[in-house]
Amino acid sequence: MNTVALFISLILVSGLNIADVSEMVEVPAGEVVMGDNADDYASPKKTAVLGTFFIDRFEVTNEEFRQQFSDHTFWEGFEPHPVTNITWYQAETYCEQVGKRLPTEEEWEKSARGTDARLYPWGNKPLRKKPHPFYSGIIKRRVGLNKKDSSPYGVRDMASSVWEWTASSENKKKVTRGGLWNHHLDYEYGKTFDRNLIAPSERFIFLGFRCVNSEN
Amino acid sequence: MRQFGKLTRRLFIKGGIWSTALFFWNLFRGLTKAEATDSFSGTDFVGKTREGKHRSFYINFWKPMRRINGKTWTLKISGLCESPTTFTLTDLKNLPAQSQSSRLKCVECWSARAEWRGFSIKELEKVIRPHASARGVVFHCGDEYKEYLSREALTQDRVLLVHSMNGKLLSDAHGFPLRLIAPSKYGYKNPKAILEMEYVAEQQSGTWSKIGPYSPDGTILPGGDHPLEYDKQPRRISGGEIPY
Repeated sequence: MNTVALFISLILVSGLNIADVSEMVEVPAGEVVMGDNADDYASPKKTAVLGTFFIDRFEVTNEEFRQQFSDHTFWEGFEPHPVTNITWYQAETYCEQVGKRLPTEEEWEKSARGTDARLYPWGNKPLRKKPHPFYSGIIKRRVGLNKKDSSPYGVRDMASSVWEWTASSENKKKVTRGGLWNHHLDYEYGKTFDRNLIAPSERFIFLGFRCVNSEN
Repeated sequence: MRQFGKLTRRLFIKGGIWSTALFFWNLFRGLTKAEATDSFSGTDFVGKTREGKHRSFYINFWKPMRRINGKTWTLKISGLCESPTTFTLTDLKNLPAQSQSSRLKCVECWSARAEWRGFSIKELEKVIRPHASARGVVFHCGDEYKEYLSREALTQDRVLLVHSMNGKLLSDAHGFPLRLIAPSKYGYKNPKAILEMEYVAEQQSGTWSKIGPYSPDGTILPGGDHPLEYDKQPRRISGGEIPY
């Protein structure tokens, strides 16, 4: 009986942990080292200076997205999972409706990387060599589940979970940042400088977003 | 007794003749029917290979498969639709066709590009009229492979049911006479040698995603690619259809 009570308590505590997924964290003004000279897609390494901003600690969830768009559907039980399969335009509209905006890629990278040019949000070594060995697809889980995937500012899921839309553009495409839990036959988390370009009208199961604000 | 014996003998002989005739008639009908419904021909098999001309475009099959006979092959459409229909290859080649160049990327990392010609599933659906409850299609293939794709995925602009590759009918190795090309999905979501398309209400796992490490969704994820025509030199990909 005590075991059952303990189990129920754990579920309740777990529920409390994910209750405030819309929490924002402050990223103080200052420099950020961006890019990496060894990566053709992220070179050259450079420095940017940003003002103070606030960023969602977690990616926007299905439940949050449904609060703004009542026709958003998803499987039962997936409420706390990151919302995906949405276009850049839908992500931007969501941000505007909740009084926020999409992060620039500079803001995204500083939130993940801090000021010491680290490769991963938690440091310079992968947490595990094989995040999801031998699995080809995306494994979505509730936001914030991996407590070790936390940046110097406490921003979560920036190396795993899903890729994220940013406000930045290049060659008529939008810059996406982030990483997945699993890369089939390429056992790496996303690095803090990894970036891709995707047309804003596209939508994918691996692509979500989070919001920022200049004021909290 | 003799009369009875003669009658019996006569009856026996007559009965024997009729029985023999009936046996051969049924045997003939049976063979004809079997030939009409057997989509395969001979004992010549096609299967997984990366040799010879296939070094530039690898071939995977779930199981080695007898070669399909295009004259007897039909595409059966079954399940949740108003008019379940059986199409011949000629029927399908008469549907409004379109061509596209797209890359097929295997989940094992290699990829290769080809010019495909075929038709949108929307053309088939004008005839068979799926029920509103039909969320997806299970493809049953000649090599006993099964794959599921949602109707939402199947009705995307760049998704085709193809009968031709690089200006010729599909070869046996590439899935003659009909295969699916869904450029934003890994190769295992592009079933070959399709025999039947079954409209279903619920999402199902295909052969690989049921037993193996492959996701049911099968969308090409951001990461790396090793295109065969570029000596497998690694390239970064953003996810979805590969543009180069």
